[in-house]
Amino acid sequence: MSEATETMTPELDAERRSNFDANQKFTWHHKTQVAGVEWKNPVGTASGTFNFDAVKWFYDVSQLGAVSTKGVSPVPWEGNPVPRTAETPAGSVNSVGLQNPGVDYYLEHDLPALKAAGATVITNVAGHSDDDYAEVVSKLADHESDMLEINVSCPNVSADGLSTGTDPVALKRLVKRLRPLTDKPMIVKLTPNVTDIRPIAEACIEGGADALSMINTFVGMRFDIRTGKPILANITGGVSGPCVHPMALAFVYKTRQAFPEIPIIGIGGIMTGEDALEFLYAGANAVEVGSAALGDPVAPLRIATELDALLDKRPELAQALEEGRTW
Amino acid sequence: MSEFKPTYFPSRRPAQVVACEELTDGVVRLTLRDAFIAAHARPAQFVNLYTSNAQRLSPRPFGVCEVNGDEFTLIFAVIGKGTGEFRGLKPGQTVDVLGPLGRGYDLREPADYVLVGGGLGVPPLVRAAQELHGRDDCHATVLFGYRNVHFADRYAAKYSDDVRSIDESEGNVITILDRWAEERGIAGGADGHLLPCAEGERPVRILTCGPLGMMKAVSAWGRDHGVAVYASLEARMGCGFGTCVVCTVHTTRGILKTCVDGPVFNTAELEGWEAAR
Repeated sequence: MSEATETMTPELDAERRSNFDANQKFTWHHKTQVAGVEWKNPVGTASGTFNFDAVKWFYDVSQLGAVSTKGVSPVPWEGNPVPRTAETPAGSVNSVGLQNPGVDYYLEHDLPALKAAGATVITNVAGHSDDDYAEVVSKLADHESDMLEINVSCPNVSADGLSTGTDPVALKRLVKRLRPLTDKPMIVKLTPNVTDIRPIAEACIEGGADALSMINTFVGMRFDIRTGKPILANITGGVSGPCVHPMALAFVYKTRQAFPEIPIIGIGGIMTGEDALEFLYAGANAVEVGSAALGDPVAPLRIATELDALLDKRPELAQALEEGRTW
Repeated sequence: MSEFKPTYFPSRRPAQVVACEELTDGVVRLTLRDAFIAAHARPAQFVNLYTSNAQRLSPRPFGVCEVNGDEFTLIFAVIGKGTGEFRGLKPGQTVDVLGPLGRGYDLREPADYVLVGGGLGVPPLVRAAQELHGRDDCHATVLFGYRNVHFADRYAAKYSDDVRSIDESEGNVITILDRWAEERGIAGGADGHLLPCAEGERPVRILTCGPLGMMKAVSAWGRDHGVAVYASLEARMGCGFGTCVVCTVHTTRGILKTCVDGPVFNTAELEGWEAAR
């Protein structure tokens, strides 16, 4: 793999893609730790962009640092009407509305399959209310997820999820309530739709969160100029993709400056190992890859190999991650 | 020591352009080289194309039209800047592909297949004709409707001895479907009950792909004539392989994904299509 370039050209991108072999025997040199859980490399998948049944044909999911599942709610959710996606330069606007078959189905089917495949599993927890979150966390407590990620930041479900994630008082109350319900490391996934991330992060830490992941999507929308109407049936959606990468880095950086100890998973527009490396320099312990995995199912694994090679040349950073510290 | 080496489905990869021509204004026929897709693409399975512009991340899914050796062909309309990038491709250039994807038409049953296509929905039906070609337990009748230029008849005619088409100046696919039924002696009014067929006689099955309104009309026609209709749906997709859950469709089996549970569905199981009767 070539060393970091200032700009990833389409040619270089295509070259890396065609040179990547999902059938190779992987050897990881640089593991990381997130809230005491060892990841074999610092790259995981972001919730909503990973589906085991869809990607198991393309690569060995146990080779990733971790996988974060689609949000799991107490009962099945139908999600939002279609259209659910609109393209935008270097990104997309999506409004799926956390369609999922519910926690009971998840525990019976998805989680056992992921564990049987050897994956390090982060179960993403969704809810419309504090009671919803508490119910799912309780049900997950005795099962074999490695970590939980509390999604208080989806912009596409009824206001509760987002408002909890933007209100430090409500958020601290929720995290405090969930904390005694499980021994599993609890990550809280934060929204960027706030003016200052630090009071939000502080609320999570004071409530007992073991780690933070950031960022979820930005609220956005597109119009169809032929009809004058919004493209998405839900009117607004969440913006993700490389277009959010610089903002995501700033959120991680600000949080790290304010809170030197809390483990952080950086998320936002990672398309290459270099993009992931930037998050590590911003202070993240690990990253989750989202949009890239929709354009190429093996992208998270390819990015992990690219990052592994980049860390070979950065022994101090690699050493810090291995010891559970950050840059 | 020998070690088990899994072989995974090939992910996104560059495919070489063999030919790219404009059949009529804004309708492109693109031939690409990819041995895996050529060997495995079943009728109504589709392939994602990706533009080389990193600003445009969404896949452009197109139904495979024909396969030949290690090459496959697509026919699609240029509808925006993304698809416009594929219009000027030159032989030797590459374009990123992923596939084949989705569940195609099930052609295992010995039957008289009637392939009813409209506009840019015709490619999967050409592929169906290709697959049925040479099978002595099946027959393929091709009924295509166009806005004006009959751009795909010649490809279907390679594989079917009965290709009929119509454009908006004469009527629509229902017009030629009625004519065909009259010849076959299939009367309307069966009201949802599949036509019984005499022993040894093959059942009639309609495969359709095209504009939504057309497919709903074909579905209603099928119900009225006691013929099962299988439609290949089009959807706005975020990934094309079952991860993102944006291409959902409401069915009698629940909310399914067009990309992996379809794109082919028996229209009797599509909710909201009943109203088209």
